Amino acid sequence: MALALGLGSSNSKGSLFNHSDSPNVSYTIDSSNDLIHYAATRDIEPNEELCIYYSSNLWFDAVGIHTNETSLEQEKDDGWSGLSNVDIPQQNLPAFFKGSLDDVVPEDDLPFERFKPPPEEETADTVRTVQAWAVDVPEPRSIGPMLKWLRHSEVDASELGHLKRVRKLGEKSTFLLRVSSEPPSLPEDIILPEPYLVTVPSSVALTSTSLSLKTALWPTIYAPRRKGEIEEWSNGKARWAWEAMRAVLPVAAYIPAPYEVSDGAPSRSFIAHDTRQTMAHPLRHAVMNVIRQIADHRAASGEESVDEPAPTAPTDTDADTDSPRNGTNYLLTSQILFTTHEPCIMCSMALLHSRVKEVVYLLPMEKTGGCGGVTCVPTLPGVNHRFSICRWKGDTIWEAGLGLDGSIDA
Amino acid sequence: MDSAEHNVFMSEAMAMAEEAWAAGEVPVGCVFVRGKTIIAKARNRTNQLSNATRHAELEAIDEILADPKLTPPGRGGYPLSETTLYVTVEPCIMCASALRQMGIKEVFYGCANDRFGGCGGVIGVNDELAHPSHPPYRAIGGYAREEAILILRRFYVTENFNAPAPRSKANRILKTEILPR
Repeated sequence: MALALGLGSSNSKGSLFNHSDSPNVSYTIDSSNDLIHYAATRDIEPNEELCIYYSSNLWFDAVGIHTNETSLEQEKDDGWSGLSNVDIPQQNLPAFFKGSLDDVVPEDDLPFERFKPPPEEETADTVRTVQAWAVDVPEPRSIGPMLKWLRHSEVDASELGHLKRVRKLGEKSTFLLRVSSEPPSLPEDIILPEPYLVTVPSSVALTSTSLSLKTALWPTIYAPRRKGEIEEWSNGKARWAWEAMRAVLPVAAYIPAPYEVSDGAPSRSFIAHDTRQTMAHPLRHAVMNVIRQIADHRAASGEESVDEPAPTAPTDTDADTDSPRNGTNYLLTSQILFTTHEPCIMCSMALLHSRVKEVVYLLPMEKTGGCGGVTCVPTLPGVNHRFSICRWKGDTIWEAGLGLDGSIDA
Repeated sequence: MDSAEHNVFMSEAMAMAEEAWAAGEVPVGCVFVRGKTIIAKARNRTNQLSNATRHAELEAIDEILADPKLTPPGRGGYPLSETTLYVTVEPCIMCASALRQMGIKEVFYGCANDRFGGCGGVIGVNDELAHPSHPPYRAIGGYAREEAILILRRFYVTENFNAPAPRSKANRILKTEILPR
């Protein structure tokens, strides 16, 4: 029994290997370059046969001695013909399974390719602001002493670090002091007018449009997000993603309990699969089902419950807006969704409405997908949330049995 | 169908939007019409169900599919191929895609939605994007547009208390002037 790997390429020589439970050759499939990389897993003796590991679900009886080393969880009846139990040979596990949990995985070694949407363009209406105390310094000769006082004073302006400290308009300089309810105290040896409140941006400017909008309020620091400057994944988180992608097979959507535990985030996982056939409902896609499952879970457990209806008379223009009266999060805030197939446009927008943080999918759906297939919903102009998208790197082991008619909305 | 009939169905949709507003929901309502009969009407329930995807259109579709008289088994084809939707606001991208997957015949709506409209407001999921199997459908706006805008303004001039992290709207005033399209 020999598995043909690479047949059909111009050089099929060397592409026929027998199976072994303790193989001396490992391989990785690089489908974007139509390559298979083979590597010896140990020193090879003269005349020793080169063998690879096919999978734990052999369709023939293996010849030779079973070492049972990699073995083999009990066959689970998962209702999906056991397809979710696709085994990955140990020696083919990616590099992030070695080393410490907290080591950062180099971008190229991540099991997926990332597409991060550009930051959402702000408008004059959406720039977030905060009230801060400022004081005019009318005398140019007071500027030096004022700066010196600021450096040595107790005025803590760490929440204003994204803003320039001084605004000059002609002869007049205005110093930004701090965010506080009470006006801050001022140096006694400099003659100054009373401090007053100004409205300033509450964050740095990521784009040039944002910079001009924000600087109109107060000079703001420009910090365009550099290319490559994206969240790092540790070995541990990459392993978490690997397990999550395994859990999602064959056709399902999965929101694992977060890798980093944070307050307010649900601590359990949710998984759903497509039920269009069984429910006779054309919209019961896996993603819609998993969103509904989380909402139902929240409602049942009393999280996020709606305490009181909004006021029924729209006269309340001086409402107390400081105290949050509602739940803390949208359904999928800070959550990562794993799914076998690129979500269709409906599902992509449902994820956007639910404020998902990141979507990881295995198979692109070029004709129906809403995360880069026919359109890319989170990058459309106007939409009120962005999420990033990761496409799992091509590998036939993962995709076994998952082929869908390209005209289907996943 | 003449415009008087459109207006009748649109005012039914507007009544559902009023119901949503009274319940503290984003005021969007809709009716689905087959022949000359309303077969389902619904409104937003996103706050009540803590689920931002429970828009009026999807609520109504669930109602229709739950009734075997409205979707006789074995009939084949698309469940809404003989059904028209009247909705106060342009369907969002999610609903526009859902409606296409359901094979909706036609959509009439009130005001456009430039934040996430799926029938041309942001993107034309109804008839601009190609789809390998689902037929495109026509979506026509401008029916009861002023009422649809005003009820939304009435809602947004106050806080959406059930949306996370409400932005202060203390300085907002209810504008009643509506610019022509």
